[in-house]
Amino acid sequence: MSDSTVLLAVFEDIEPASKGIGVLQNLGLSDDQMNVISGIPVKEAILGRPAGRTHVAQIAMGGAVLGLLLGLFLIYGIPYLFPLDAGGQPFYPIPQGLIICFEMTMLGLMGSAFLGMFLDSGFPSYTPKEYVSEISDGRIAVLFHCPSGKQKSFTEALIKAGARSVSPAEARHL
Amino acid sequence: MSAIAKPLIGSHATEEEDPRQHLMHDPLPRGEMNAMVLDSMHTTTWKYWTLAGILAFVVLTCLIYAWYDLIMEGLGVTGDNRPVYWGIFLVNVVFWIGISHAGTFISAILRVLKIESRRPFTRAAELMTTFGLVQAGLSVFMHMGRVWLSYWLIPIPNERTIWPDFHSPLMWDFMAINTYLLCSTMYLFLPLIPDLAMARDRSTGWRKTFYRILAIGFRGTEGEWKNLKTAMNIFAFAIIPVMFSVHTIVSWDFAMATRPGWSSTVFGPYFVIGALHSGMAAVAVVLFMIRSTMKNMKYFIRPEHFDTLAKLSLMVSMAWAYFYFNDYLVPWYGGDQWEKILQDFTQRGPLGWLWYLMLFCNIVVPWSILWNKKWRQTPWLMAIVGLIINIGMWIERYVIIPEALTINRMPFTWQIYVPKLEIFLTIGTFALFFLLYLLASRLIPLIPVWEVQEGQESHMLRKIGKAHISTVSEID
Repeated sequence: MSDSTVLLAVFEDIEPASKGIGVLQNLGLSDDQMNVISGIPVKEAILGRPAGRTHVAQIAMGGAVLGLLLGLFLIYGIPYLFPLDAGGQPFYPIPQGLIICFEMTMLGLMGSAFLGMFLDSGFPSYTPKEYVSEISDGRIAVLFHCPSGKQKSFTEALIKAGARSVSPAEARHL
Repeated sequence: MSAIAKPLIGSHATEEEDPRQHLMHDPLPRGEMNAMVLDSMHTTTWKYWTLAGILAFVVLTCLIYAWYDLIMEGLGVTGDNRPVYWGIFLVNVVFWIGISHAGTFISAILRVLKIESRRPFTRAAELMTTFGLVQAGLSVFMHMGRVWLSYWLIPIPNERTIWPDFHSPLMWDFMAINTYLLCSTMYLFLPLIPDLAMARDRSTGWRKTFYRILAIGFRGTEGEWKNLKTAMNIFAFAIIPVMFSVHTIVSWDFAMATRPGWSSTVFGPYFVIGALHSGMAAVAVVLFMIRSTMKNMKYFIRPEHFDTLAKLSLMVSMAWAYFYFNDYLVPWYGGDQWEKILQDFTQRGPLGWLWYLMLFCNIVVPWSILWNKKWRQTPWLMAIVGLIINIGMWIERYVIIPEALTINRMPFTWQIYVPKLEIFLTIGTFALFFLLYLLASRLIPLIPVWEVQEGQESHMLRKIGKAHISTVSEID
């Protein structure tokens, strides 16, 4: 992408943004050459974008399995390592095991969903990024790689589609 | 007799209500909503600081100093004595865990069921969960007495070469409450990230640094939203069974003991519904306080939201009555002499008035008021009803714990519990809860602005026949 410039087109609303994305696609940009930044989540189909992928669910499931294993260790491993006779209760009871295993599984599931969201999104990140604060005012921005020498035609096409502004994207501290 | 029936309509059948009375049909530009929420966070009057000062003073004296006294003197300065070793501290534990159920119920269950009116007040409820659990945790530590040995509960190898006994209901409780506290705090943080980013974009000075750190670099790219929404969905579904498990396990702390009044198979669901009863009512109180004391909040928190809460409260109140009757009837019918003595003591003993007050607060008040739509939509009235229900639910826990412990199978030990220092510590936990809430209201956006905007974008009025009907579409 060395022969391209990163531009940021800001749209007032969903409707012109979806038109703008259509314009960029017609001008030959592939989906991976653009990214949408918005103040609210918008379904990809509305903007004509391919469905995104996330690994949060898989990471969460992995965490749930680890949580279950931890629960099994706590309820069955500990009495094995440190037998403690409490009123003649069985050392390896299933009903009580279910309680601890359930809590640990859920903790693993949710804890890793939380961490998964961080990992998959690259959070926390305090490096400069392309962004304008208008986005959190409800506007939608399209960040795209514009081939060198075509900046003017792309800008005109996007303004015609309803963009409020099209300008070179500047990475800045958020 | 005429063959044509009279139509069942009044003279106002053709009048249409103003859709703008609903937040979802009264949109403002996002920038304006952002400014309103930030303005409410930045506005602190002398009344705010006076209240914060009073609460801080109460926390210092009633919580910190009283706890210091408890540690230095030992549990003997409380009213805990034979046969009532579980006093108000445990009442407070159950009460605060109950309060904490509101956040999950409102945020998770209403989110899963796509109840749209939840949008502006989910965060206010989630904050109650976190701060309520803090009070519950503190109350457990107070009850412990030798709080500096609380690390014995953690499963780490130690010089005693023994581990905590995970077969004990108290350990189940420890695991469940900690799981719930951790998960509900994470669940509070996730939907907060976009609002922290919004605050970051509009702040300067120390607030800018504060929000910049907490917003963790969120911009709102497609990938970030996808990950965030997926994580939120996982939480919304997973935290519901955890919520049910927490109060069920709390109830097992009692039900696993073969004591009169405690050994009940219905305690699990009865405790859960009781928790929801107090939690929903507490949300109404908190929403009224936010709406009345914070700037611009009347736009976001409207009578329709109190109406939603009140309907849920009425439903929960009926369910609570059903479970209470279920829990009451079986021992009454069973005829066990100790159960009969306990029931007689509860209803006709020196503390019998508490039992009647509990039924009045939890059943009579909500059933008499919450059936009326106009009353349901009156915020101050809902706050009063919420307060009364919470008084009733606190008394319910008092009846279950110290009162039930008064009567056991050894009559020579019977003695009525008289709380002492724990009264101050109870006041201290309430003050700390409100102080934390007061401080949080000026630090984090209490209204999830992005969720409100998302809801407003999804709603539209569709003309069907002569009327405009509200419709919702999914845009995320």
